[in-house]
Amino acid sequence: MNEFSKALDVSTSGLKAQSSRLRHLSENISNADTPGYRRKTIPFRTEFDAGGGVAKVEVGRVSLDDRPLERVFDPSHPLADGTGHYEGSNVDLLIELADAREAQRSYEANLKMFEQARQMSSGLMQLLRR
Amino acid sequence: MFQNLTVFETAHAMAVHAGQRQAVIAQNVANADTPGFVARDLQNFQSAFASSDPMQSAQRATRPGHLHGAAVPVSNPMIGEDRSFAAPDGNSVSLETEMLRATDAKRQHDRSLAIYKSALNILRSSLGRQ
Repeated sequence: MNEFSKALDVSTSGLKAQSSRLRHLSENISNADTPGYRRKTIPFRTEFDAGGGVAKVEVGRVSLDDRPLERVFDPSHPLADGTGHYEGSNVDLLIELADAREAQRSYEANLKMFEQARQMSSGLMQLLRR
Repeated sequence: MFQNLTVFETAHAMAVHAGQRQAVIAQNVANADTPGFVARDLQNFQSAFASSDPMQSAQRATRPGHLHGAAVPVSNPMIGEDRSFAAPDGNSVSLETEMLRATDAKRQHDRSLAIYKSALNILRSSLGRQ
């Protein structure tokens, strides 16, 4: 495995991880008004690939945020209890949007590294042409 | 100049070094959001090449049991960074620094390929084939 395919491999793992993060973020955002929904979070961890000796990034298991659910006052809601409250979701749109922006930036950075490794590799191939 | 063609060897070593550095930087960028990841880098080409230069055939100590003083780790030129700029989650990758290094690696690679190509052209014209 040469260095460029290592670099492409690692960048691909980064792209995959960031896009799966973005997918869970959009799940959270779309369920922001679902009663009883708990926001999903995914951990990133470094996975050493024994074959290439590279530090890829892997996505761990999805876990649910156990912050208390927001209590919304709406006596006419079908799920409302005796006091007129029902439990909404614990999604904070501000956090989700900031996280989505960070995921986008990291995705772009990975894409740039991928593109650059490809350029360097094709520069090497140019040597064979006359 | 063309008695032993060291210019090709040097250009080759430089391109290999740039490729390795690119792979290391790609790992850093892919793990930019992994908690606890410490950014790594290779030592620069000048010092890496000087320590592996076949022209300087001095003996080196690579293990503590060797006679020549303190052992210098030559097989692993990877350097980890200090964690002083680490984020609260222990991650010390700065995307800006990595972009700077990636551009550096790309320029080094381009430079080495240009040197290789130019030397090849001189060699070709000295052989009388255009």
